[in-house]
Formats: sequence, structure tokens, C-alpha cells
Amino acid sequence: MQRITSVLKVNSHQFRNNELHNRRLADELKERQRAARFQRPERELERLRRQNKLFVRDRVEALLDPHTPFLELSTLAANKAYEGEVPGAAQVVGVGIVAGREVIVHADDASVKGGAWYPLSVKKIVRALDIAIENRLPVVHLCDCAGGFLPLQAEFFADRYHAGRILRNQSILSKMGVPQVAIAMGHCTAGGAYVPALSDYNIIVEGTGAIFLGGPPVVKAATGENVSVEELGGAHMHTGVSGTSDYLASSEMHAIAIARDIVAHLKRPAKASIDRAAPEPPLYDPCELYGIIPKDPRVQFDMREIVARLVDGSRFHEYQPRFGTTLVCGFARLHGYQIGVIANNGVLFNESALKGAHFIQLCDSNRTPLLFLQNVTGFMVGREYERRGITKDGAKLIMAMSGASVPKLTVICNGSHGAGTYAMAGRAFDPRFVFTWPQAQISAMGAEQAAGVLTHVKARQLAREGGRLSKQELETIREPILEEYRERSSAYYATSEIWDDGILDPIDTRSALAVALSASLNAPIEAPHYGVFRMYRRIWVRGHWMRPSVREGAPVDGSGGMQL
Amino acid sequence: MLSLSFTQQSAVGEIDVYHTFEVDGVDHKLWLSPCRQGYRLHLTDQVIAPVKFVSHNDSCGLLTIAGEAEPVRFVVDGDVLHVLIRGRTRTLRYRDPLRTLASVAGQDNSLVARAPMPGVVLTTTVSPGQSVSAGMALMMIESMKLETIIRCPQDGVVDRIHFEEGDSFERDAVLVTLTKEGR
Amino acid sequence: MHTLPFDTVLIANRGEIAVRIIKTLRKLGLRSAIVYHEVDAQTPAIAMADVAIEVSARTPIAAYLDIAQIIAAARKANAGALHPGYGFLSENAQFARAVIQAGMAFIGPTPETIELMGDKIRARNFVQRNGFPVAPSAIEEDDPATFVSKARAIGAPLLVKPSAGGGGKGMRIVRDLDTLEDAIDLSRSEGQRYFGDGRLYVERYVEDPRHIEVQVLGDAFGNVVHLFERECSVQRRFQKIIEESPSPALSPELRERICETAVGIARAANYQNAGTVEFIFGRGEFYFLEMNTRLQVEHPVTEMVTGIDLVAQQIYAAAGRELDFSQSAIVSDGHAIEVRLYAEAPERGYVPTTGKVLLLEYPHGVRIDSGILQGQHITTAFDPMLAKIISHAPTRMDAVTKSHRAVQELVLLGCETNAGFLARILADEAFLGGQFHTGYLEQNPHIAAGNTSDGLSAFLASAALLTRAVRDSADAVPELHAAIGSWRN
Repeated sequence: MQRITSVLKVNSHQFRNNELHNRRLADELKERQRAARFQRPERELERLRRQNKLFVRDRVEALLDPHTPFLELSTLAANKAYEGEVPGAAQVVGVGIVAGREVIVHADDASVKGGAWYPLSVKKIVRALDIAIENRLPVVHLCDCAGGFLPLQAEFFADRYHAGRILRNQSILSKMGVPQVAIAMGHCTAGGAYVPALSDYNIIVEGTGAIFLGGPPVVKAATGENVSVEELGGAHMHTGVSGTSDYLASSEMHAIAIARDIVAHLKRPAKASIDRAAPEPPLYDPCELYGIIPKDPRVQFDMREIVARLVDGSRFHEYQPRFGTTLVCGFARLHGYQIGVIANNGVLFNESALKGAHFIQLCDSNRTPLLFLQNVTGFMVGREYERRGITKDGAKLIMAMSGASVPKLTVICNGSHGAGTYAMAGRAFDPRFVFTWPQAQISAMGAEQAAGVLTHVKARQLAREGGRLSKQELETIREPILEEYRERSSAYYATSEIWDDGILDPIDTRSALAVALSASLNAPIEAPHYGVFRMYRRIWVRGHWMRPSVREGAPVDGSGGMQL
Repeated sequence: MLSLSFTQQSAVGEIDVYHTFEVDGVDHKLWLSPCRQGYRLHLTDQVIAPVKFVSHNDSCGLLTIAGEAEPVRFVVDGDVLHVLIRGRTRTLRYRDPLRTLASVAGQDNSLVARAPMPGVVLTTTVSPGQSVSAGMALMMIESMKLETIIRCPQDGVVDRIHFEEGDSFERDAVLVTLTKEGR
Repeated sequence: MHTLPFDTVLIANRGEIAVRIIKTLRKLGLRSAIVYHEVDAQTPAIAMADVAIEVSARTPIAAYLDIAQIIAAARKANAGALHPGYGFLSENAQFARAVIQAGMAFIGPTPETIELMGDKIRARNFVQRNGFPVAPSAIEEDDPATFVSKARAIGAPLLVKPSAGGGGKGMRIVRDLDTLEDAIDLSRSEGQRYFGDGRLYVERYVEDPRHIEVQVLGDAFGNVVHLFERECSVQRRFQKIIEESPSPALSPELRERICETAVGIARAANYQNAGTVEFIFGRGEFYFLEMNTRLQVEHPVTEMVTGIDLVAQQIYAAAGRELDFSQSAIVSDGHAIEVRLYAEAPERGYVPTTGKVLLLEYPHGVRIDSGILQGQHITTAFDPMLAKIISHAPTRMDAVTKSHRAVQELVLLGCETNAGFLARILADEAFLGGQFHTGYLEQNPHIAAGNTSDGLSAFLASAALLTRAVRDSADAVPELHAAIGSWRN
């Protein structure tokens, strides 16, 4: 495979500016993640110590195999919600290695509101279990939860993907034969009690772990019965009398050691086998990514430069390099795994859409996982393109992408707007993992564009009621819309709402994708099969695409036709 | 809001899931991870790679450590390894973390008096059923001209004396077990 | 060459000396019988002996001290002679008498000689009376009332010793006269406990003393010869660790004087059979310390440099034969060093160690006198000496090198030994230069302590790679994750 030849001038003024800007963004990301992960009020930490409990991060680190990577997901969930008082939505979720197995770790963070489930906490847990189902990954639950945050119960209780979905997902995992191990390291109350109960194995920590559908106050209120936590749902009762828990642990560390021992004994089904060679680092320094991504989101750049700093040896076998040039397609390797890369170099045209659809099918047939690198404002609009059937072509792309059986991974590198977000394997299309970069923007329409449209609409409204608006007045209307739009299309907002699985520092992308890809191979890859592609025949005649004549099959000239 | 930063990764000493080998009474934590030409050895203060061991038979092998090859003679006796390298012999005892963590909590260690070293019982100064208090002499042992008094770890009642006068015992052997005094 | 008056010898001992004696018995065409306690059933001597008779007692040691059982066993085996080895009953005059009364030859000196030299005070007086040098001393028995003041008058440093003692038990060095009375009390109680005799004597302690002893051999015809000296200064708490011959401390003239003195003492005592006269040597002066009326542990050193089989000589002497070589025929050739391998851990305060000998392989090119076998359990029932490694070479340097290589090549796994410690001594500058005295190890605690962290990583690596659980943990991790290592996003 040929290497990408970078044309980047790393000493240019532009590069330097970009680099400064992006490094600052990366530092900001690092700091916000650090705060979300570790910064806690002293009284909370004191309370944990008094209760003889470990901090959630210490639990997770003790659970994981030393010297292995841990891909944490949605670290900054809820960073824009609940007045910022629920960092990480009080959950720690990630893909890690336990006793050599790839597992999903799901841990309640009792240092945040006692580990209570907020609406976004529930969403994060459901997402974790969805990942487990889609990728057939065993799950280890570290349970320590105060219960649902009742003031917001309307947002997490009744709907299809609300808290019930956690228990449903657990049942489905079990049905699929994917094991779960739970440790009750604190209270597991009401719905939370079902997490260990629905796990194939569960361990309960003496003295701190407790499982009950209603705690002592609830029981007292309901029936007048007086009973202690220990008696109602403590470790000895559940291991010795009710049989709800399988193992009694004398300490949290003991519980974690038991959990590791259990995971070590779980079956290791064969992973989907895809083409893999010896790994090779990129030829170009991944740090150069900082200099490539433009400071101004409107400035275009060549995605191949990004690819060159992500893939093994910077080698890239480009597919149809001369056709549909706004979509870069090609084969590469990531830590040895062969992948198909689909990346935006501009808006999507008919050709790019068709190329993409074809390439996806090639990859699917070849059992090559797909990596979508998004930087797209949408599809091309305009008369010519509509007449050429851009909507149909876009539909074919979406049909191919949706139907692809190989794992899909998506990284929103820069802009992600309109139908482009969808066509490039956005969240709704179940890529196994979606990540964003700090400066990414995701929205139905670009902020500027949207602000312009909305201002225009508002101005027309006011005009109907009589009166014209001055330029200044227009600005006054436009600015807040722009602000709000920018705010709600930022990577931080998106990740807060768990529209993605986390913001990555660009230089972490390679390792993150490798871990994600490896995890995704735990699920079998089905044979390719798709829905209906809206198709028709066209012929290229003297510089124009033309519909053939009514007599089907009759070529117009010897230049050949392009059957689609 | 007061903040407390923890280190990103707990120091080796805090995580008990590492493998532990006890050598001369000191616990050493380590971890092996695979690498190109064998394994990487992660110790508390350093990482050595590559390391490789080829056994020629069950008592003779060749250790390759950071490029140097060392002939090794060894005997594996359950969880105890006796190893001879370059004229130096050491005994390493593998500690299963599960067993260590389980026993730390489960057993009440203070109700036994253990032998600090191998030796012979000279005299026993208590008898079963006798009330004893912390610090009281239970027996006198001898080890190569060293006479040691074995003292009671805490108040209680002598339950059983496991060795008679003249019997020899190993290091860590339980010499006397007590029961908590009935109140 | 007439045949011997007995054809069977009973060995009232165990371990390496029993094996050593059996080897010579075989060489001489004699039948070997041995007594043993149950715990020694699997030791090499039992298998090698022609007859093995079990004896029992409350403790293993007590069994080897049971005179009645031993004599009965000798009778049962039709033994015509009995070899007591060293330690146990070898210097017990009552036992020697009982053996003789039972009609057997006692392979050792006469009971009278044993009694004379066994009482340290009596021996000392005897030597002094005969004009041989002794250290200034005070003997309690002479005048208990003035004992302490006489002791004080000798001046510090001095040594408090039980008069019935030996082998270092109960001995105390007093450097500060204020502690003299405490030392006397402690030594007295130990003397009472170990030897049943609380009498003491006190003598001048020579600073930086060297322990030099001379091997002597006598017969029933009044012939006494010496087989040169051995230096045994590398000791710990009066327990010898390394012995060698010739002594690097002696000039030829001094050597001659000490050896002649030893012969003189032995002759004055009408000494028969093998014995050793021990001296304390320092600053050009030497004093009589004590005489051991038995074969010594370190006798192989003398055998290597003289080429004479001491056990055979003992048997001949006991058989009533005259020595068949004169003093001038005895030549010391080259240099010999013996190191004692103990089941103990010098690195941890010399604490005794136990275990099963899982793997045992002796080094080549040296003499090994061993009482252990692969598969044997080492317990604290007896003295922890496992084996002796004796090297012989033309020069001292060569002998040291040989010994050093031997202790490094020795494979003994399953029971911790002092092999590493021996290697460190044999590589130590002071030892190599022959510059040491009996306080050498005490003054150089770093030799015993060793360097615990030195080379530890190689051991940890071996242990990790040999332990299934550790390897499995490593092998379980997928290649990708092992390559990425501890990464966090």
C-alpha cells in the first residue's frame, strides 16, 4: 500500500496558528475531564472514607488488568446539565481489560450525589449496555447507587429508553449468552436492586453492600416494620438466606479480586476474524493533527492529511481517487486491522454519494470494518443536482451505510451538519462507537446558516406586522440565536447529552479506535444484505448524463453506459 | 468547593490485584505483560523487557533478562519456588491475591501464637483451659542457642497447645491457639 | 601387616561424620554398624551401614546420648569397637569406660585423658604445671571468695567460661568490668543448664585473637606426633565456619613452636589416639585454650594437606598398633580450606532454616563430606550443619578460588543455606589477604547481611515466568492491548 504524501507545511503561519489553538482546546479538554473525573467536594470524599468505601476510580483501576488500556466513554456526560453538579452523570463507563477479557465496565460514582441516577445517568447506563449488546461484550457492574433522582423521575422512569431499558438490556444480554458480573459495593435500591439480580454472577461486600427493593425508611412507611439495612438486605442475608448474591466479600478489594477471578473463568468465544497484519505507527507524527484542523471552522482542509496521521505507516489505498472527490474512500490499517476509511473533503455530491455507497458494499463484502471521518456541511443543493437525483443518490448511500454488517466507527472531526451527519454514519445509524473532537460542531444546519435563516424568518414576521428592521436590530436578533446555536451544537453540548461516546483529544484517536475496533469484533459479522437501492440507468452522452430512450437496453453510442 | 486530586493511576502498592512474591519476608508486587520477544516485567520501581524463560527440564532453565542470559536451577514446590542464579539461592513464595485478601478479613489472627522461627519446644508454662492475658509467657522455645519466650497475643483462654516439650516445629507454625474469654 | 582385633565397628553418631567413618571402615574391610533415631532413618549413613539399629528417646538428641541403648546395640551388632564421632558422647569419660567394660575398644583416648582434658580448669592447670603457655586466669573453684576480685585483677578484656563447657556455650566476653558480675551470673546459669555444672573460670581475652589448633596423634607406645596446625578464626559466636591449613598468620618458626608445644602437651598427658590442642594466638603470643579429646569436625583439612586418613589412624591406635610413621615423615603439602554448609540464614540473624532438600547437586573438584541426601527433611532436631566442602590446591589463593567456585556451583534447593554467605567471605578482601581474627565476622556485619536487593529482579523474573498464574494473566491479555499498554483517554 502506498503512503500518503503530506503536502502540509508544518512551519507555516497557518499551521502554527492552528496548532496553538488546537493544543489549547486539547488542554481544556484534559482539564475538564480531570475535573469531571476527580474533583469532588471534600465532604463527599470524607463521607466515603467514613463509610469505608473506595472512590469509584480506585475501584475501576483495581478491577482492570494493570498495564492495559481503558477507553472511557462519555466522561463529560451531563457537563452542561443539572448546573454542572453531576459530573459524568455520576457514572463511570468504559471498555477495559479484566483478566484478559474485553469487558464493559459500568460503575456508579457514589461521590456524586451518592451515585443517584439522573436522567442522563440512565441514558449513559443504557448506552453502555447497548454497546455491550451490539458488541457482545461482558459487563462488570460496580453498584453503589442512592436510587433514582426522584425530582426528575418523569425524565427517566416511564419511557421506552428510560430506566426500565437498563433491566431489559441486562435480560437481553443474558439471553444472548453474554455474561454480567455485578458487585454490590453500596446500596442497590429499587430498580437498582435488579442490576445485581439480573447479572449472572453477583458479589456483595460485607458491611457496605445491600440489596433491597425498598430501604428501611420505605419499608417503615409502607408496613410499619422496623428493620436495619443489614437485616433487610445485607451481605450475610443475601448470601446465606435468600441466595440473591453468590459471593460474600470481606472488603471491596476482596470483591474485586473475586470478580476478576469470575471473569477469568468466563468462556472466550471466537472473535470475528478480519484481515490483520503486524502493526506499524503512522509515518507522520500524530501531533501534527493539531496543526491541520483549522481554527476557523469554515476553512476547508484535506482529510487525507488527517488520515495520514491516524493509520499504520500512513499507508492508504485510495479507491476511485479521480471520481467523487469530495468523499475520500480507501483502505488502510489501524494497529494492523484492515479498515475502510470514508472521509469528507467538502459537501456531498451525487458522485461522492454513489462512490461511498459502492465502497461501503466493497468493504462489507470484504469483511472490512468502516471508519467514517466526518467533516461535512451536508449534501449539495441546487437544481442541477436535484435533477440528477441527489436525493436518490444520498438515499443509496444511507441505505448502504445502514445495511452494512461490518462494524462502523465514526469520528466527528470538525463539522457535522444536515443529511451529511446521517449519511456519514451518525448516531442514529448505530455505529458501534461515535467520538468527536473538541472543536467539532453538530447541528441540523451550520450555525451561521441557521442564524441567517432564523433571523430572516423573524424579520419577515415583524415585517408582516408592519415595520422594517435596521441593521443593528437585525444583529440584536441574530446574535443570541447564533450564540445559542453555537452553544447547542458544540462538542461539549453533544457529549453532555450523550449524542456521542466521548470527546477525544485528536492524538488519542488512534488508540481509542483500535480499542473500539477490537471490542467490536466480539460480535459476529453477518453476511452482507441490504434494503432496496433506488436505482436507474443513465448514460453519459457528450458531456451530459442522459436518460436512455424508451427502448430499454439500446445504447446511444459506443462510449458505453454506466449502469447504476 | 474543596477539591482533592488523586493520581491518575494508583501507585503499585495500593492495587492488590498484582501478583505478589514474598522473598525474605518482604512482599514484592509484579506484573507480566506480553511483548515482542517474550514478556515485559513490571516491578514497583522499574520495567524490564524483554524477559524470557526456557525450561530445559523441571530443574534447569535459561533466563533471558534485558539481553543477558543466565542459567537458572530451580525447584517448584507448589506456590514456593527455590531458585539458584549465579551462585545465589533464594526462596520466593507466590501469594495468591484472592487467598490473601480473603484471609485478611476472615481469620482472626490474634487468637494464635505463632513460631517466629523454626525450633524446638523447651518448656510450656500454661495448660489448656487456663486464663491468660496479653504478654503472658506461654512457652519457651529454643533455636540454635537462642532461647525465646512465646508470649500471649491477647487476653483469652488457652484452647490447645499444638506441640509438646521436645517437639520441633517450622517457622510460622501455630504453637498455641486461644479462644476469646467468655464473659 | 597383622589384621585388626575386631571386624565390626559401631558408630555412635550421625550425619556427615557417620558417613565419613563408614567410608574408612569400608576401605579397611571392616563391617559398619550404626545406631539411629527415627528422624535420621532416611539419612545416607543408615543406608550405607551394614547394620543399622534404631534407638529411641524423648528427643532425638537424647537418643544419641543413651549410653545403655547404644552399648546394647553394639553388643547386638557384635561390634568389637565403637567410634563416638564428635559431639554427643565423644568426650564423655563415663561412656568410654562403659564401652571398655563391655569388652569393646573405644576409638578415642583413654577415659582418664578424657576426664583430664574435659575439665577445662583441670586441663589448664595441668598444661601450666608442665611449663606450657596459658592465658592469665582466675579459677573460681580455687577460691570462690576471691574469684570476682581476681577476675577483675586480670583486667579487661576477659572471657568468662563454664569449666565444664565446650563448643562456645556459656562463654562471654567482658570488656567493661562493670558488667563482670552480670556476665558471671549469666554464664553460671547457662553452665548449669547445658552442662549441669555451674563452675566458672575467667581468663584473659586476647584482642583480635586467632584460633590456631594442632592435630595430634598418639599410640599406646608413647609415640606422639603432630599433623600440623589448622586455623579456625572465621567463627560466629564461637561456632567455626571456615578452617584452613596452613595458617596464613604463622611464620615457619612460630608454626614449629606451636606444633611442638601441642606435641609436648599431648606427650605429657600420655595421649593416645587422635586429639586436637587449641590455642589462642595474637600479637606473636599464643596460649593454650583447651584440648579436644576426639576427632574434630574440621579434620579433613589436615587429611588433605598430609594425605593421612585420620579415622584409619584412630582405628589402628584403638587396635593397639604402633604409629607406623615418624614426625619427619609427615609433610604438609599445599593448602586446604574447609567451609561448613549450615541450614541457616546469616542474612536474617543466622536464624535456623528448615525444609526438604528438593534438589542437591555437589560441585566438582572438591571433597564433600555430607550427611544429607536429596529428598531429606532438614529439621531443627540437630545441629544445622549439612555438609563440609574441602578444597585442596598448591597455594592458598588457588584453594580460596576453588572453594569459592564450589560454593557457587553447589545446588541445594528447598532449604535455605549459608552458601551465599560463604561465597561472600571467600571473596572478601580481608579474608583473601589472610588478615582476620575471631572477631572478623562480628566486625564486618555486612558480609552476613549481604545485599538483599542485589540481582533480585532476575529472581523475580524467573519466579514470574515459572508461575502459571502470572504467565496466564499475561497470556490472557490480547496482543493489541498489551502493545498499547496503560493508556487512558
